[in-house]
Amino acid sequence: MSLWVDKYRPSSLGKVDFHKEQAAQLKKLVQCGDFPHLLVYGPSGAGKKTRIMCLLRELYGPGVEKLRIEHQTIVAPSKKKIEINTIASNYHLEVNPSDAGNQDRVVIQELIKTVAQSQQIQSSTQRDFKVVLLTEVDRLTKDAQHALRRTMEKYMATCRLILCSTSTSKVIGPIRSRCLAIRVPLPSIEEVCSVLTSVCKKEGLVLPPELAKQISEKSGRNLRKALLMCEACRVQQYPFSVDQDVPETDWEVYLRETANAIVSQQTPQRLLEVRARLYELLTHCIPPEIIMKCLVKELLNNCDGQLKTEVAHIAAYYEHRLQLGSKAIYHLEAFTAKFMAIYKKFMEDGLDAMMF
Amino acid sequence: MNKLSVADKATERRANHWVDPSFIDLREECSSLSGRRNGNPVLCSKAEMKKKRKREASASYLLKESSQLDQNEPWVEKYSPRSQAELAVHKKKIEEVEKWIRVHTNTKSGILLLTGPSGCGKTATVRVLSLEMGLRVQEWISPTNLEAYSSSHEWRMNGFSSSSQSSQFQDFLLRANKYNCLKMAGDGGVTHSKLILVEDLPNQFYRQPGALHEILRGFVRTSQCPLVFIVSDSLSGDSSSRFLFPKDIQEELGISSISFNPVAPTAMMKVLTCISTQEAAKSCRSVCVPDQTLLETLCSGSSGDIRSAINSLQFSCLSTDSCTSVETGLWRTKKDRSLCRAGSTTSQRKKKSKQEEELAIGGKDASLFLFRALGKILHCKREKHERADGAEGGCGRGLPSHLLHHHRAALLVDPELVVERSHMSGEFFSLYLHQNYLDFFCEVEDVERASEYLSDADLLTADWMNRSVLGDYGSSVATRGLLHSNSQQASVGFRALHKPSWLLVNKKHWENCVAAQSLFRSFCLTPVSLQTELLPYLAKLTNPMRNQDQITFIQDVGQMSLRRFSSRLKPEALTDKESGELEMDSEEEEKEVKEAGGAEEGLPASQPQPTLNQVLLEDEDLIIEEYISD
Repeated sequence: MSLWVDKYRPSSLGKVDFHKEQAAQLKKLVQCGDFPHLLVYGPSGAGKKTRIMCLLRELYGPGVEKLRIEHQTIVAPSKKKIEINTIASNYHLEVNPSDAGNQDRVVIQELIKTVAQSQQIQSSTQRDFKVVLLTEVDRLTKDAQHALRRTMEKYMATCRLILCSTSTSKVIGPIRSRCLAIRVPLPSIEEVCSVLTSVCKKEGLVLPPELAKQISEKSGRNLRKALLMCEACRVQQYPFSVDQDVPETDWEVYLRETANAIVSQQTPQRLLEVRARLYELLTHCIPPEIIMKCLVKELLNNCDGQLKTEVAHIAAYYEHRLQLGSKAIYHLEAFTAKFMAIYKKFMEDGLDAMMF
Repeated sequence: MNKLSVADKATERRANHWVDPSFIDLREECSSLSGRRNGNPVLCSKAEMKKKRKREASASYLLKESSQLDQNEPWVEKYSPRSQAELAVHKKKIEEVEKWIRVHTNTKSGILLLTGPSGCGKTATVRVLSLEMGLRVQEWISPTNLEAYSSSHEWRMNGFSSSSQSSQFQDFLLRANKYNCLKMAGDGGVTHSKLILVEDLPNQFYRQPGALHEILRGFVRTSQCPLVFIVSDSLSGDSSSRFLFPKDIQEELGISSISFNPVAPTAMMKVLTCISTQEAAKSCRSVCVPDQTLLETLCSGSSGDIRSAINSLQFSCLSTDSCTSVETGLWRTKKDRSLCRAGSTTSQRKKKSKQEEELAIGGKDASLFLFRALGKILHCKREKHERADGAEGGCGRGLPSHLLHHHRAALLVDPELVVERSHMSGEFFSLYLHQNYLDFFCEVEDVERASEYLSDADLLTADWMNRSVLGDYGSSVATRGLLHSNSQQASVGFRALHKPSWLLVNKKHWENCVAAQSLFRSFCLTPVSLQTELLPYLAKLTNPMRNQDQITFIQDVGQMSLRRFSSRLKPEALTDKESGELEMDSEEEEKEVKEAGGAEEGLPASQPQPTLNQVLLEDEDLIIEEYISD
């Protein structure tokens, strides 16, 4: 039994639930034969990967769904061995180069070279190119992106690239201009609701429309999250009730409590407790950027309108430092301390104003 | 060297003279009139030389001693303490060791571990005490294996089979334990009790402390005389005594442990003055007698290592023709400076800054234990307020009115020096500071500024290409930033310090991320969505398609936070336990430091400290005693 997310993933461009015009355009793109490099971007949970897989199936037929996980070892020029996992079919190769950390340049060059050097055997019946799918392109180092630019041109004859990322802002210009950019936006609330209802119907469950709406709102239109939430709801309670609690992830709840702790008291001791909580979140695999983002969101909900611009400002300041620095906790803590100071001052000023 | 050599005082001294005293070469080269070297045929082989020298040494020993040896002998040997009164060790420590030896020579068993920095008189104490109590000291000297390779023939003829050091050590312990020495006619017929002394352990045991523990277990079962280990502390952090004799082994084998402090400046001065006056009394022309300021500089420069202090005293007193100019030149600059300082104020001179002055020659690198270094930054000691008020006009005048709130009294510590002496990279030192600074602040506004400085420091060292250049600046920003932003300067009292947990957290973070990737690869998700979306929800689903590893991982990463969330006390308990482990370490450090602090802060007892914290209070009784011993 697999997850609903995987079980009901549409497998062809004709069956996708939303952005249908875009799907039709992609279909035409495949049929006209000249297939460019693609850069697919959009927020998480919008269906980028689903569309890419549909596209590949459109290109190569059902053979592309026979996947195998391969463990590859690549030797860098410095004789260092890099181990990386790839997912491949006969026609394509999927790899997340950022797994290799700083050595991602070597990984990209070597992998694309090996794929591009072997031609398709029956070029009469098949396409005469293979596809390399690179995920998380925005996390590539600049080095690797420049190497990618050269490699893209060199092996154009036998290999096409599909790049997948959440935003294009970290992809260098030359790569953006060499690719056909396809944006996959988040589905609307209604679209999420309809997907949830149809999935539940296929499962033989009845989903009240109010609950569907609640789930889709809480998921932030992230379809993957919405489906996972829905499935968790099913585990929690069935038959569904209209005012059922939609389970949130533990770390989100934990982070909200942390934010409340920050707002309720501003002392060095409290900061120490907050630090312990931040550490706890980090050990549970939550990336520091996400912690920062969600913490700010929670804090903004809690503080007065006058403070919001200032808080957003310092959040941006420390988020930037988080990216540049090497030890995340310094910056997370500095942000928390700053917020505490601002908030305390605001409350004291407010109190003074009340007194007079 | 025979490993079973009975190291009596006399033989030991003779053994020492087989090797030339370290200063003889210098003299010879300087005077360039050494007939002895010219007389020796250069052609004779090394072995012959050795034999010859041996014979020479043993035959003409008496002759030599009367005439020449007096000057050549290192003063460390010459003035080695003969009685308890001469020892530069605190009286209570001597008593402690004496009591142990007395008790354990009667029971004929027991193991004692003496620790302390080098040159604080551990060996001297044992020797003096055993001399006074009429004990025979039998010492283990690690055999050098070189001879075994060069002349294996002789080796076998001597009836030794070559064996590993550790088994030789075991053998030594067994024999020393079982058999008494032969009675010689000259001994006066007194049956000596014995004491086994082990100072340099075979290297093997540093690699496998387990082997040592096995041997010791065997020894304890059959022991007939007390065994004393002397292990010097190293500052590099990996304390060999803790490594060789962990707590559980100490308990299991009933090892008592006594740790020595660096020699207190007063005691050291006493010894140095004593030696210099004695030398002056003998006063051959060659010895120039050092004056008081030089002795003080020597004393502070040696940072409690009496051996190096005496050595540098002897060196500075050597005045052969060629050396004089260079040396007096060196000392003169030194003297000038110290004179200037002495001229300013006496209280000024007694301050810490004096110790931070370094010697041109023979000075030992002063260093700080980590705990102490952190305390210096975190406790943020500044000049006292009365003085600050007096200087307010002076210092405050320099600042425009809108910056006056940045005015602080002068610091009593030099942050860069503290970092340097902590023997640690600046980045790591900042981590330690970050872990502990919150305990020392009481205002959120101060914390805000401090945390920003720490964040700045991290930013400076983030780029690996400039890290080597900017690392020092980073630690400067971190330490000075912390010092500056702590505006309250309230006395916080004693605080336990902890090791940074960031490293552990970071490691765990990456381990978990990698594990998540490898265990849930089949979902084909990007790491971020896997960790923040799929895993937490998988924990909530009852999905039976997972294998055992995956289940445990999900329970660990996904569900643990759920449990923690339900019981809010959990994070406290966890950090308590965590810091509990660390506290044990830091407490040990702290103990060492406290005692070391007592020795170092012996002088400025007259000056009230700005913060009356617990550490200082506990030091006070030590300080008083040192004044009595004066």
